[in-house]
Amino acid sequence: MAKPIKTVSAVVSRIDDLGNDTKRFTLVDQDDWELPPFKPGAHIDVHLQPGLIRTYSLCNEPEDDRRYVIAVKREDKGRGGSNFLHEQIRPGDQVGVSIPRGGIRPILEGMNVFVAGGIGVTPFISVVRHLERHGRTNYALHWTSRGRPVLCDMIGPAIEAGRVRLYDTTIQAKPTIKEILGDHAESGFAACCGPVPMLEAFEGAVADWPDERKHVEMFTPPKRLVQSDVPPYELVLKASKKVAIVTPDVGLLGTLEAMGVDISVSCGGGICGACRTRWVEGPPIHRDRVLSPAERQSELIVCVGDCAGPKLVLDL
Amino acid sequence: MDAMAKEISKGTTLWQGVVRFLHRTPRAFLPMRSFPELQLIAGRGIEGDRYLIGQETGFYSHKPEEGRQVTLFEIETLEALRRDHGIELLPEEHRRNVTVEGVPLNHLVGRRFRLGEAIVEATRLSTPCRHIEEILGKAVFDPLINRSGLNCKIIAGGILRVGDAVRPL
Repeated sequence: MAKPIKTVSAVVSRIDDLGNDTKRFTLVDQDDWELPPFKPGAHIDVHLQPGLIRTYSLCNEPEDDRRYVIAVKREDKGRGGSNFLHEQIRPGDQVGVSIPRGGIRPILEGMNVFVAGGIGVTPFISVVRHLERHGRTNYALHWTSRGRPVLCDMIGPAIEAGRVRLYDTTIQAKPTIKEILGDHAESGFAACCGPVPMLEAFEGAVADWPDERKHVEMFTPPKRLVQSDVPPYELVLKASKKVAIVTPDVGLLGTLEAMGVDISVSCGGGICGACRTRWVEGPPIHRDRVLSPAERQSELIVCVGDCAGPKLVLDL
Repeated sequence: MDAMAKEISKGTTLWQGVVRFLHRTPRAFLPMRSFPELQLIAGRGIEGDRYLIGQETGFYSHKPEEGRQVTLFEIETLEALRRDHGIELLPEEHRRNVTVEGVPLNHLVGRRFRLGEAIVEATRLSTPCRHIEEILGKAVFDPLINRSGLNCKIIAGGILRVGDAVRPL
């Protein structure tokens, strides 16, 4: 029986060593066909090996539709994805990638303020290239980097035009988020991607901003709950008519996997959205950083989800 | 019942349609490209398409099938999506190979008909895929239920061109 194809088959066409432990990978179709479309600042899962799936932001812009460009900083203390890419992947290798997800939606009127830390700049490279391509200059990218930043070659015109503010934290103080956001709270859009302390500071600074005018992009998962604090509950899979009990030590995702459910999982930390699943009965407990309040009315990120009642029914 | 009434009751004669768009893609998930003509190969599929039998690279489900050698879609459905749901779905987005006008696809399951110079046999109605919503970011799954096109087997092959007639045998 044929296996379902769940990933886009891509070929690594080029690898650039950018220094500062960062490599840039260009992925293309084997026949140079167009790749599935994406929004500025979207991300893809890269299937490196069975069980080794990592999520990376696309650096190129949607109009550049025959390649996916990702930049990966090697993290020796990471979970293995960046080391694998740096050490094992060569030009010509085939990798499976997911359909792109997510994206950042800058506002047309008013100022867009992008706050990036280090390699967290990657989604904004895509957004900046997209905005520049369309002649839109109502943005500022504030980019802190320890030492020489990489990827500057992808946004050269924006840097030359003064729309990118670089902060080398080895020689100058980090700006505060409050300083960066300035007086844009009333009408601006703000987005942030970077290390956890930066994200926390950003979230605090924009806490009172309306949801549609702020965006937090995360590229490391938050600490995963090792053990859920909810009592056991019944899990019913409506379509496949399967039933199981979810216990705190196994959790919802572990139970689904034990039931043999073929569910797409990537980050395992509720930030990438790969395992979003429709729920029918609950109410579920949402612990993700992906779904909007409206989406939570019908969907659940199962890798971090649970149930607040005795029974959870999923549309699986 | 006279002969005309019998034919009408079968829904097989009082129509003639035309091919408006032709599309194919070589692999799963990749965007469809528009072509002025496609090569239909009897018993196998479309040259260069993901469902060409023997070279399948397009299966999203566990069910590769002989009856999906060429797929058709009504342009009237695109118009209905726009009119009734405010959704702009483009001919290259529904992921079927042949967009036709004036062809009652839902009436043709189990029947053979001419598609340009080729002859095809309709095997079953297509079903919408959630992954199209994922690819497009458009909520088309529910509106496409029961109007998501037709899967066909190619009985006699040939070149299919935009503008070709589609008609009963």
